Formats: sequence, structure tokens, C-alpha cells
Amino acid sequence: MRLLFLLLLMVLLTSACDNFPRDPDETLTKIKNNTLLVGYTENPPWVVKTKAEPTGLEVELIKNFAKTQGAKISWVNDTEQDLFQKLEKRELYLVIGGFTDKNTWKTKISFTRPYVKHQKEKHVMAVLKGENAFIVALETFLHQQTSHLNALPASYEAN
Amino acid sequence: MKPIKKFEFPAELRPLFEKAKRLEWLTLIYLAITVVIMYLTMGNSQAMKTAWYEDLLSMTPSVAFLISSRIVAKPANGEFPYGYHKAVSIAYLCSSLALFAVGSFLVIDSGITLIKGDRPTIGTVIIFGHQIWLGYLMMIALIWGSVPAVFLGRAKLPIAKKLHSKNLYTDAEMQKADWMTGFAAILGITGIGFGWWWADAAAASIISLDVIHDGFKNLKQALYDLIDQIPKTVDNQKTDPIIKHIEDYLQQKTWVKTAEIRLREDGHIYFGEAFVVPVSSVNLIQAMEDTRQEIENMHWHLHEFIITLVSDLPQQEA
Repeated sequence: MRLLFLLLLMVLLTSACDNFPRDPDETLTKIKNNTLLVGYTENPPWVVKTKAEPTGLEVELIKNFAKTQGAKISWVNDTEQDLFQKLEKRELYLVIGGFTDKNTWKTKISFTRPYVKHQKEKHVMAVLKGENAFIVALETFLHQQTSHLNALPASYEAN
Repeated sequence: MKPIKKFEFPAELRPLFEKAKRLEWLTLIYLAITVVIMYLTMGNSQAMKTAWYEDLLSMTPSVAFLISSRIVAKPANGEFPYGYHKAVSIAYLCSSLALFAVGSFLVIDSGITLIKGDRPTIGTVIIFGHQIWLGYLMMIALIWGSVPAVFLGRAKLPIAKKLHSKNLYTDAEMQKADWMTGFAAILGITGIGFGWWWADAAAASIISLDVIHDGFKNLKQALYDLIDQIPKTVDNQKTDPIIKHIEDYLQQKTWVKTAEIRLREDGHIYFGEAFVVPVSSVNLIQAMEDTRQEIENMHWHLHEFIITLVSDLPQQEA
């Protein structure tokens, strides 16, 4: 009984902290009011490359996410392979490109929970491994968008 | 071939044996639920993975106990004149080997995770429309996986001693210690929550060292049992005091000049023989029969105790 009590107490204590979980590398703190390093690879309608800044469904989402953190975005364009390697070396925080949860990099890279289902494919974004506060913040943001996200891919394809 | 009499437990212990079987079924159901819950909440936490394997593997003693309790019930026959009692020892060997192998695998696996600096990512899940951090669910799963186990283990320990079942005893001891595994894993996940990515794999290593320790201890005893080591008590692996008791008893008999005995353990049952140098040949067969019966009555373990007459006791080689 004493043990059970101790365990419950511990869980309650940890839940009480509002900044829980935290990042080993303080990624979320680094991003706040600073720069979000995002890699992108073209995959319309998710990510569309233009002469200036990229556009597309995921680009818009990330722009809005950056706004919630008061951060500006530094875009890096490259191939999927190179971007994932940079993410592995922790040179990027986030990589987008219309990835699905079947991505073969699953073992080396961390992905978010699928945030939208489109044509039976579950779409995810690649994130820095082990930065749990950052991932929770991003997933929370994506979860809040759920309601109008489901209609989005269709509207982009219509364009 | 003369098969041994059919015997497993005396009448007064049979209800206890039935209770042990019921407890093992309960354990299996409980562990099956735990394994599913843990699998669903596992994510990519190393400590959760370790605790999951441990729970999966801790089903082995229960399964082995239930299977072997069916096999030993078969009566001895011409093909198996000593009956099927060694099935219990084989079950014990399987349980301990499984435990040892998994402990070794896990210590290597979590060691590699630590060395490579692999950082566990624990995201969120949606439950009934609410988003929660998966880490909290892991903790709840771990509490479910450890607290009831402690009580199951405590219920089994005294029964295991009375039934002289080493397999059941191992099972009970492991479950009693399960809370340590659960607690270590919870600490590991809490560690991740505080941003210490290594805490998880470190906790996993400690858990697996504990699993290896249990596995090795029992593997050794299971092998010794199969090579017919002299009978040991279930709980602290000491030489069974009954051996000394029988020796003293034989020495006191008036028809016995000198005697030595040999015992071995087959599952719950002891087989043995006494080598007796008799005082004279008067009434020898009756005296032997009586003494044999008296010894078999000493304890239900003792079964088919055979008295052999010899002219000289062999000198033990140093």
C-alpha cells in the first residue's frame, strides 16, 4: 500500500509541473522568439517550392506554428535523404515534405503522430529525436488544427 | 519393469495444489492483460521495452507449471517406470533458461542504446478527444504491471514451500520483485520527462541485470536438479535436513549395524536407497519391510525408499 501511494504521489508530482516533459537540448526554449530551422523537400500539395519562400499545406501549418512560438523560420531546401541526415546530426529542428507514417526512415528519425489522413495515407512530420517538449508542443498545435485540416488537402488539390 | 506407485501429493496437500493451479491461471490472465497494455503504451522507451519483455517472459513459469502439473499426474508405466516427475524439473529449466536469455539480450540492447546515445522520443496520444503525453500512460501501465504482481507473488510463496515446488517458488519470488522493475522503469520515464534522455536506458540496464541475476541463480539450480544433486530445500537451497534425520533414524535401529543413504529429487518427490549392514540375519526381511515403511511415513516427499543389504559399506573416495 505504501508503495502504491508513493507511486501515485510521484505521478501526481510530475503531472503538476507545467513544463513537463522537457527537452534534453532545450530545443523549444531555443525556438521561442528566435529561429525555427525547417528543412523542406518539394511534394505538392504539402510543400511547393517557389522562387521565394515555399508554399503549400504543411508550409502554412509550420508558419502558423512558428507564430505561436513567436519565431521566424529559416528554410532549408534539399533532398529527402540529405534533410534527414541533417536532422540526424541535429542541424535542423523539423523536416516537412508530405511524409507518411510508412516512411522507411522511421527507425533513425522521429516522426510526429499522424496529424491528417488523406487518401488512406497518414501524414506526419519529421522532428528532432528525443526533444519531447518540442514534439509535444508541435503535436498539440497540430491537434488544435484537426477540425479544418481534414478539408485542407482537397482544397489545395483543387487549385 | 516395475513401475512406481501413482503418487503426487498427499490428500491434505491436494487442495493446496489446486489452489496453486488456480493462482497460476489468474497470473496468466493478469500477465496477458499487462502485456497488451504495456505493448500499447510502449512507444520507443527502452525501459518500457525491457519491462515488457520481462512481463512476457514471466509467463513462462506459470505456463511451465500448468503444463507440467498435467504431465506429472500420469501414472508410471512400463515405459516410464519412475513416472513423469522429472517433467517438473524440465519445466523449471525452461523457465530459468528463458529468464537468463532475455536478461542477457536486454542488457546488451539497452547498453547499445546508451553507447549510441539514442534519444527516446515520447510524443502524445489522443484518448477520448484529450491529448496526453504518452509518458503518463506508460507510468500507469507500469503501476498496473507491478503492484498486483506483488500480491500474487506473496500468495504463492507459502504454497510453493509446502508443495516443494521450485518452479512455483521461482515464479513467486520473481513476481514479488516485480515492483522493483516497475519502479525503475517509472523512474526512467520520469527522467526522460525531465530531459535526461539517458535515464531510460540506464533504468533498463539495471532492470535487465536483475533479470540476469534471477535467471542465472535458477538456471544453475535447475541444472543441478537434473544431474540429481542431493535434495535441497525450496526456499534457501540448503541441504534438506531430512537426510540427516533418516541417517540418525537408521543408526538407532537395533537390526542395523551401520548404514548410509542416497537420495535424489524428482520434481516434488524424493527417491532413495539405504545401504545397510545388518547385525544378524534373524527376521531380516520383516525388519527391512517395517523400517522402509516407517521411513516412507516420515514425510510425503519420501517415496519408494529402498533398503539394500550389504556386507560392507563402500569407502568414500576422497
